Amino acid sequence: MKSIFLFIAIALSVVTNAQVTKVSLQASGLTCSMCSNSINKALKTLDFVTSVDADIKTYTFEISFKPNTNVDFDKIRKKVENAGFTVCGFVATIYFNNVPVKNNQAVTIGVNDFLFVNTKDQLLNGAKLVKVLDKGYVSSKEYKKNAYSISLRTYHATI
Amino acid sequence: MKLQLFMSFFFLSLLCKAQELYSVTEPASNMASRSIGFRIDNLIMNETNSSTINYHLIPEIMIGVSKKLMIHGNVFFSNRSKKFRGEGGSLYGKYRFLSNDALQKHFRMAVFGRISTNNSDIHQEEISMYGHNSGFEAGVIATQLLRKVALSSGLSFLKALDNGNDNKYLYGSKNSTAVNYNFSIGKLMLPKAYKDYRQTNINLMVEILAQVNVGSGKYYTDIAPSVQMIINSQSRVDIGYRKELSSTLLRTAPNGFFIRLEHNFFNAF
Repeated sequence: MKSIFLFIAIALSVVTNAQVTKVSLQASGLTCSMCSNSINKALKTLDFVTSVDADIKTYTFEISFKPNTNVDFDKIRKKVENAGFTVCGFVATIYFNNVPVKNNQAVTIGVNDFLFVNTKDQLLNGAKLVKVLDKGYVSSKEYKKNAYSISLRTYHATI
Repeated sequence: MKLQLFMSFFFLSLLCKAQELYSVTEPASNMASRSIGFRIDNLIMNETNSSTINYHLIPEIMIGVSKKLMIHGNVFFSNRSKKFRGEGGSLYGKYRFLSNDALQKHFRMAVFGRISTNNSDIHQEEISMYGHNSGFEAGVIATQLLRKVALSSGLSFLKALDNGNDNKYLYGSKNSTAVNYNFSIGKLMLPKAYKDYRQTNINLMVEILAQVNVGSGKYYTDIAPSVQMIINSQSRVDIGYRKELSSTLLRTAPNGFFIRLEHNFFNAF
């Protein structure tokens, strides 16, 4: 019985000790500022987003989130696709507090599970950059290399 | 002649690298889903063998229904009947079925269709679903964006019907179908580097627009250069001139200026 409580406590600690604070997203398929603006305005309509800082030159959008909200990566990706473009880079800044990470083992962060690949076993503390590797989050060229796809809401990611 | 044109465009495409919001034709890309645009087209055409100006005013609403589908609805006004009046309207839909995106480039393909109604008199062999004939048009578009240059080509099939107000199609049902094709190129001139959404973009466009009548084999080829300004990343002003290069079709006013004003609302619904 004690061990069950301990297990639940550990599971909960993994969930609560990591928070997505920022996402840096690069979009492909555009060059003009009107296209970039359509993505910028679409991202701002998400209820968990506080601000979007667009770098028009590099087609990169720095997205900040409300504290203690569930950041839904799929909703972010869909906003870019509905504006008529494609995500070709997606790096989340995640704040960890003593979260053990093992290669090829899933960790729950917020509402999503992350399966870290090409990652050393380590104890994560502080802000780390986590790159999502799945289809729709990397360029088609990069996707062909690894062919990762999201299954059961588990993202493939690397630090 | 056609091969030469094609070759010169192919060569141009190698020289420069663009923007695809063309002034006369549409690119294969769509507007953002859930956005609404308003457009006012002004065509100021010189009537051949007279000093009369044919003025066409075409207000249009554009809706991004989804990421792949957009629709346009517009109304045609003109002074061709010596009095400025409404003459009809059209519904246009475009569906993007292919999209290969990479950083600062894409290749896209779309199909489109237009249904037009018009009650003005039929006065030329040229078939146009944009303010002259009742009928329909269906076609395919391919657009390649390469950094600052966009190249686009379209091929469509047109069928003219009798116009409203008992204005019959005069040239026989055999000659009521035509094929339109175009090669369009656009280049982003300014800004050299983006810093802010408020920077005005300036694009230069050149479009080659051609029609061949399926029945008679008669044709026209036009060139339409234009300058475009994109203001505040939301509004657009195009100013251009359309000039007939060669034609065996009877046309009443092939040459003239056009001015397009457009404003877009993102996330409008």
